Amino acid sequence: MKVDVLENILSVNEKLAEENRDLFDKKKIFVINLMASPGAGKTSFILKTIAGIKDKFEVAVIEGDVASQVDAEKIKAHGIPSVQINTGGACHLEANMIKNALEHLDLDNVDVLVIENVGNLVCPADFKLGEDLKVLILSIPEGDDKPLKYPLMFAETDVLILNKIDLLELSDFDQDKVKDVTHKLNPDLRTFKLSCKSDEGVKEWVDWLISRIDEAI
Amino acid sequence: MHELGITENIVSIVLKHGEKEGAKKITKITLRIGELTQVVGDCIQFYFDQLSKDTIAENAELIIEYIPIRVRCADCGSEKEASNYDFTCPSCGAICTEFISGREFLVDDIEVE
Repeated sequence: MKVDVLENILSVNEKLAEENRDLFDKKKIFVINLMASPGAGKTSFILKTIAGIKDKFEVAVIEGDVASQVDAEKIKAHGIPSVQINTGGACHLEANMIKNALEHLDLDNVDVLVIENVGNLVCPADFKLGEDLKVLILSIPEGDDKPLKYPLMFAETDVLILNKIDLLELSDFDQDKVKDVTHKLNPDLRTFKLSCKSDEGVKEWVDWLISRIDEAI
Repeated sequence: MHELGITENIVSIVLKHGEKEGAKKITKITLRIGELTQVVGDCIQFYFDQLSKDTIAENAELIIEYIPIRVRCADCGSEKEASNYDFTCPSCGAICTEFISGREFLVDDIEVE
C-alpha cells in the first residue's frame, strides 16, 4: 500500500528556524548569519561592523566553532555580549543550537544579533537559523574560483563581502570573474569590497546595513 | 553533505508515517532530491542500511528521484535545464532567474505492508 509522505527532510530544522524567527520578530531583533571559510575574516568583520553600528543599535553575537572560546572572548573584550557555541564536531550551526544559545542573552536589550557560523563554505548553506540576512565573506587570498566550486553557498547568500582587498595587488584574484559567476548564480546578490585592515570600503557596507536594519525593525 | 544526519531524518520520518499507518513493514521509500542540494545518494544508501536495522524500515528499497535544475528566463520565458550551473538563457542570452525545479528535498512516499 502506498502512503503519501511529502515531508521535507530538513523539516525539523526548518520548524525550529521558524520558531527562532517568530521570537526575533516579537523582540524586534535583526539577525545576520555570517558565513565563510576559516580565516576569511569573519570575526574581524564582525568587530568592524559593530564599531560602525553600535551607536545606533545594541548588538549581541553568537559565535560558532568546533572548539575553544577564542572568538567569543575577542567580542567580549570589546564590551559586546557574546555566547560561544562549541559544536563538538558539527561543521555548521543549526536552529536548535541557536535556540539554546538565546537563553544566555538578554533579548529585550538586543537590536542586532550577529551569528558567526562555523568556518565552512559547504554546510551552513543548508541550515536555516531564523536569520534576516545571510552574509558570506570571500577573502582575496582564497582565490576567485570559489563561487564555481561552492555554488550553493554563493547562490543562497544575500550579501557577498570581498574581504582583504588590501591584498589584491599581491594576488591574481580576478574580480570580474567572481562578478560574472556570482551574478549568474544569484542575480539579486549585493557585493561589498572592503578591507578590515585598511578600513577601505567598510563605510559603504555599514551605511547599507544601517538602512537595511532601519527598514526591518 | 551530512548524509548521516539527513538519513537519520529520513528514517525518523518514514517510521513516523509507517507507524501511523500501523505498518508491519516498509518495503519501499521514494525520495525526491533536487540537484541543487548536492546530496550524495550512495552515502544515503550506506547510512540507511545501518540505521534501519531492527526497524520496520529494514531492507526497504530506497529510490532516489533526482530532480534536475530547471530555470526560466524572466525576459523571454524560455526554460532550460541548467547543467553545470549555467543559467544563461539559450534564446536571448539573459540570466534565467526563476527556479522551476532543483531544490526539492523530501520523502515523497512509502510503500508498506
